[in-house]
Amino acid sequence: MTPILKLEAISKSYRSVPAVSGVDFDLRRGEIHALLGENGAGKSTLTKIMAGVVQASAGRMLHHGHEVSFATPNAALDAGIAMVFQETSLVPSMTVAQNLYLGSEKFLNRLRGTYISAQQFLQSLNFGVDPTALVATLGAAKRQMVEIARAVQHNAEVIIFDEPTASLTPEEKRHFFALLRRLKARGVSIVFISHALEEALEISDRITILRDGELVITADTASFTRDSIIAAMVGRSLSATIYRERGPAALRKPGRKVLSVQDISMGALVRNTSFSVFEGQITGVFGLIGSGRTETFKIVAGIARRDFLRGGAITLDDRPVRYLTPYEAVRDGIVYVTEDRKSEGIFETMSVGENLFGGVLAAGKAKARLVRLAEVRALAADWTARLNIKAINANARVVELSGGNQQKVVIGKGLVQAPRLVIFDEPTRGVDVAAIAEIHQIINGLADAGLAVVVISSYLPEVMNLSDRILVCRQGRIVEELSPVEATEAKIMYAAVH
Amino acid sequence: MIFDPLLDLLRGKAVTIPPLDGAFRPNTALDDAPVFAQMPAPDNLVFWQGKVVASSGPALMAPGGEVLQRYGSDITALAVSPHGALTVGLADGSLSIAGAAVVLPTDVRCITALAYGADGRLWLANGSATLPPGQWAADLMQKNASGSVWVQEDGWQKLASGLAWPFGLLPDGAGVIVSEAWRHRLVRLEGGKPRAILESLPGYPARLAPAAGGGAWLALFAPRNRLIEFVLQESRYRLAMMAEVSPEFWISPALASGRSFLEPLQCGGIRMLGVHKAWSPSRSYGLVVRLDAQMTPRFSLHSRANGTRHGVTSVLDHQGQLYIASKGGDCILAPAPEGT
Repeated sequence: MTPILKLEAISKSYRSVPAVSGVDFDLRRGEIHALLGENGAGKSTLTKIMAGVVQASAGRMLHHGHEVSFATPNAALDAGIAMVFQETSLVPSMTVAQNLYLGSEKFLNRLRGTYISAQQFLQSLNFGVDPTALVATLGAAKRQMVEIARAVQHNAEVIIFDEPTASLTPEEKRHFFALLRRLKARGVSIVFISHALEEALEISDRITILRDGELVITADTASFTRDSIIAAMVGRSLSATIYRERGPAALRKPGRKVLSVQDISMGALVRNTSFSVFEGQITGVFGLIGSGRTETFKIVAGIARRDFLRGGAITLDDRPVRYLTPYEAVRDGIVYVTEDRKSEGIFETMSVGENLFGGVLAAGKAKARLVRLAEVRALAADWTARLNIKAINANARVVELSGGNQQKVVIGKGLVQAPRLVIFDEPTRGVDVAAIAEIHQIINGLADAGLAVVVISSYLPEVMNLSDRILVCRQGRIVEELSPVEATEAKIMYAAVH
Repeated sequence: MIFDPLLDLLRGKAVTIPPLDGAFRPNTALDDAPVFAQMPAPDNLVFWQGKVVASSGPALMAPGGEVLQRYGSDITALAVSPHGALTVGLADGSLSIAGAAVVLPTDVRCITALAYGADGRLWLANGSATLPPGQWAADLMQKNASGSVWVQEDGWQKLASGLAWPFGLLPDGAGVIVSEAWRHRLVRLEGGKPRAILESLPGYPARLAPAAGGGAWLALFAPRNRLIEFVLQESRYRLAMMAEVSPEFWISPALASGRSFLEPLQCGGIRMLGVHKAWSPSRSYGLVVRLDAQMTPRFSLHSRANGTRHGVTSVLDHQGQLYIASKGGDCILAPAPEGT
């Protein structure tokens, strides 16, 4: 059978740095093909070539056996190849329905008809999104749903998903996988990029693994195990270091109580939440999207404010605090490492050193009133080495780094402030497995050095393997505390949803 | 914020409940513990004449269910002197030592705890100046602070007054450590004013008992609850509730709960798909805390909202073996030493 799409010896370089070199790839009709690899392995570049976002430097692409080269994404879409991007490309000021039909509107467009048709279409996909809602008002998960719906709506015969499940809850993931199976049954071919290996093993028919821009292996999913995928992705087995079993002896004992949060409330998002954070220990926080875990810790970090009346109490070292600005929290040694690094964590067009120095400035720890380039360079050299940030050169802009290295910059930006309490919100979202191991090592190192560390994550294996205690958040409050020794995925999920 | 102390005058100070974490991290140790004896509402435990005995209503009972002594009203406190004399406080305000009645000051009508110091002095906690021990919930809801602590030394000397339901005594050298239930704290009395030594407890402290390895055991008979704290702030509602609702259905702490569909706090917040959630808000709870010599909590034993060994009012540590009276669970527990 002729593959629907076939890539032969495809190469692509950015500023003479090869992103993909000599990769062969083929996609059969009605298959789900998982594309795996570390960040920087070339997955996104390869899929962008398929979708016409970038053009290959060498090699050829065959569509139904005919050689093609898509100059624009629209040309690829006309040929039936759609791509759902990791960063959503919706127009925030337009409604869901308008976004769905953007570019394919009729000359005389009737808004009511658009809404009705969008409503029916979203219902057919089992997506609970209001078509009349402005995209700007939607959360990350719902935006992702709209993005997926838009690709499906174009009746594409090839749909490429780049990290589609990163922001979905487990329930939404089930719906999404059911949708993929329905699309597959209709003969649609799907390319599926994910960092969650379990998802690839669960949903895909074949798996292709890339490493450093080169093809490592393409084979049927049944022939892979989790460990063999990781070994192929990174060239070594990381499974034991990232997802190791932990006995009671491996857990750190709590030190002094640094932070005590009692009954804090913020509207309907955070409701009478109470917990403590101890020195020398990693406190893991698990909760589904919308459970208020991020908002709770944003209150602690002074980014959000608790209710003025009956808002509860926060004490830092037994001293009551109520921060009006994040600066006050930073001054007290509290650092929040954001989950949304692109919009809140980094200045994309600035260099690593400038970003790190931004952290120093925010904490008011700069040595002089004027920015001294020597200080910036020294800081960059120091933290690049400490956190093993891989950049092309010292002046590389952060946007040019891989997701894992960008995340390390965000972490470094917090750590230069010499904190006592570090709050990591989804520290490994959109980060490849090798970088996950390094980031986990950084986080463990902080706890071992006696800092109080909080890790918020919706990835259960991460919470279970990194934390010394696990707090479960549900509907705006911490409902349960579990020890990693006794915790199982079922126990944590039960607390998170009941 | 620096203006918070001023703003608190206008908006009211935040009343918050400390989280159950650190030394108070929930577990199921009390529910997992073996039952040493079953009897209705065991209250105070002492080791007397070579065996553990407990008060249960008006009866003094041995673990096998044998009634050793029956009194005219409920027993509210027990203690054994260094010479082995059993000292019994009753709900009618009377006190007897080795069967002989003791004359008490007229102010003492609510004996909640008795304890002998190493020097042989008898300490007495008088929970309330106005209400008997059985009406402890009313004392809380009236927000009383009329309790006192007395010591028998050349007659009875009042050591402190204005205490909010003193419920436990632990003689400590020249002074005594007192658990003050409605203020959720332990205070030390030695001469002058009470000095807080452990505050912000997540429940209402009951009796204290010396621990074999030094330090103490503290029983907390009920958990603090946000709804109850709210009701305590809403005076009109609270007074109306006390006037119109039967006390067993008040929104107040309880030694046991979930036994009647008329009780407050039910539905989805408590039970989901037929399963009683361990973390649900509850009016009753089982909690015993191990305190070190500095009265710092070290670890705790729990019976959570979905457990049954609630309302722990007394603990006895006899040569390293722990006995725990669960008044709400109608049993005495004897956890294995390694479990404690």
